[in-house]
Amino acid sequence: MIELKNITKIYDLNINNKVTALNDINLKFNEGELIVLKGSSGSGKSTILSLVAALSKPTMGEVIVDNKRISKLPDNFASLYRRENIGFIFQKYNLIPTLSVKENILLPLVPNNPNEDECNSKLNIVLEQFNISNKKDTIVKNLSGGEQQRVAISRALINNPKIIIADEPTANLDEKLSLDFIDMLRQLKSQNKTIVVATHDPLFFNLDFVDKVIEIKNGNII
Amino acid sequence: MLLSPEVLTLQILNIIFLVFVTVSLFLSIRIFFKWDINATTKEQYKLEKQSFLAATIIKYILAIKLPLFLFFIFTLDKLSISLTGAMCAAGVVDATQFGTYLFILKIINIYLFGFWLIIHNIDIKNEKLPYTKIKFGFFIFIFFIFITEVIVEYLMFDAINIDQMVSCCGTLYSSSATSLISNIFILDTKILLVLFYGLFMSLFISYKFKLQYIFSISNFLFLIISIVSLISFFGTYIYELPTHHCPFCFLQKEYYYVGYFIYTLLFIGTFFGFVASGTNPTDKNIEKYYKISIIFSFLYLVLVSAYPIIFYIKNGVWL
Repeated sequence: MIELKNITKIYDLNINNKVTALNDINLKFNEGELIVLKGSSGSGKSTILSLVAALSKPTMGEVIVDNKRISKLPDNFASLYRRENIGFIFQKYNLIPTLSVKENILLPLVPNNPNEDECNSKLNIVLEQFNISNKKDTIVKNLSGGEQQRVAISRALINNPKIIIADEPTANLDEKLSLDFIDMLRQLKSQNKTIVVATHDPLFFNLDFVDKVIEIKNGNII
Repeated sequence: MLLSPEVLTLQILNIIFLVFVTVSLFLSIRIFFKWDINATTKEQYKLEKQSFLAATIIKYILAIKLPLFLFFIFTLDKLSISLTGAMCAAGVVDATQFGTYLFILKIINIYLFGFWLIIHNIDIKNEKLPYTKIKFGFFIFIFFIFITEVIVEYLMFDAINIDQMVSCCGTLYSSSATSLISNIFILDTKILLVLFYGLFMSLFISYKFKLQYIFSISNFLFLIISIVSLISFFGTYIYELPTHHCPFCFLQKEYYYVGYFIYTLLFIGTFFGFVASGTNPTDKNIEKYYKISIIFSFLYLVLVSAYPIIFYIKNGVWL
């Protein structure tokens, strides 16, 4: 379970310029739920994602995941938490263009220093799940947008995380590819993953398998 | 002030350190008084960021200060060339009224700085940062000793007068001298050696049976007796001269800088001995500290014992 309690996040750009991204918000997501955060750019959606992923700390309040106060974790423990629990899908995929599909997907495993057999078995599972086995050795920059998205999802899942966070995942995809992505989300939801998606794509708002749609505006929940 | 490149280096480093430890002091005071790891307030989150910054600054300064002690001795050794009468660092230490106090203070500080680094290391390995308040409180205490060291070091270098003749180590560390050091030679060599090897046995037994209190006392006594026996007995075999007892000369090139190795082994061994003595018996790291202490103390014992044994094998007599 993910819980955000009395969260306020203020970005100090300089002494005279402070931006309140989140203003005393409270949220609760249960295990296995798919939550869509909707709102315009700058509303605070991505800030919520970064707090849940322990990529940043709140100015006030706390984030609790599975009874662990992750907003209070020192940086080295926060990294460990991310590595073990979070799969992140970015808007622009954030793949390394000069590496192959296989190398990109395996990157999150590097800190764990696994053996080759373990790497291959995990790799084959995600490659088959997302139909990119035939592109395994292709350099990522030579792939289409949809294929790159699938590589990004495979990379997010290689560590078998409990929580998947997606930040504007369909912003760079056409409608067909967006629908493909939604299908993949359905698959992940059936595996009891907790999924938090930040988007302003209307395709997500009326899906039958979405548990909650939360609208954020100017750092507040509507 | 005698401004050799080494003295300049030490003084410049001291100025840099002073700036950073002063910044860290202000942060440490705030953290020490306001730290509450359970709080989710704006102030606590700010303190958590500041504690990371302050601890990083302190960690690097103290970690640099440890090997800098060896550089300090090296500097004194080099300065001895410029002082009439001085043959090694001993003459420079004795050249001013500050030298001996500074030297003792520096040795104490090595242990204090090391303790801070150990506390910090244990603290950041626990996600609840249980020793943050203690380590910053300890730093506030260390700060004042640190400042004292810097001031006395400046005063010592400033007080060195190259026109004044100083005593050489042969005079300072002689059984006929009237100084405090000459009391070392009152102890009979056989008793000293029994104490030295007996204390190591005590260290080993208290380690085996995890007798923390005895380990702590044995460790302290081992440090004292090691230095005394080094001056009184083992040193003479390093020099192969029965009347030469200087604890500094074997830091020189003629003796392959073996002194640095000897003192490093002794300080590391006894330091981790003190750490093991002060560690909670349930802490999983305690065994590691015990082992490091015993291994380094044993290596020290082997190294200093090797000199008289090799001398006897080569010459068939004891000094």
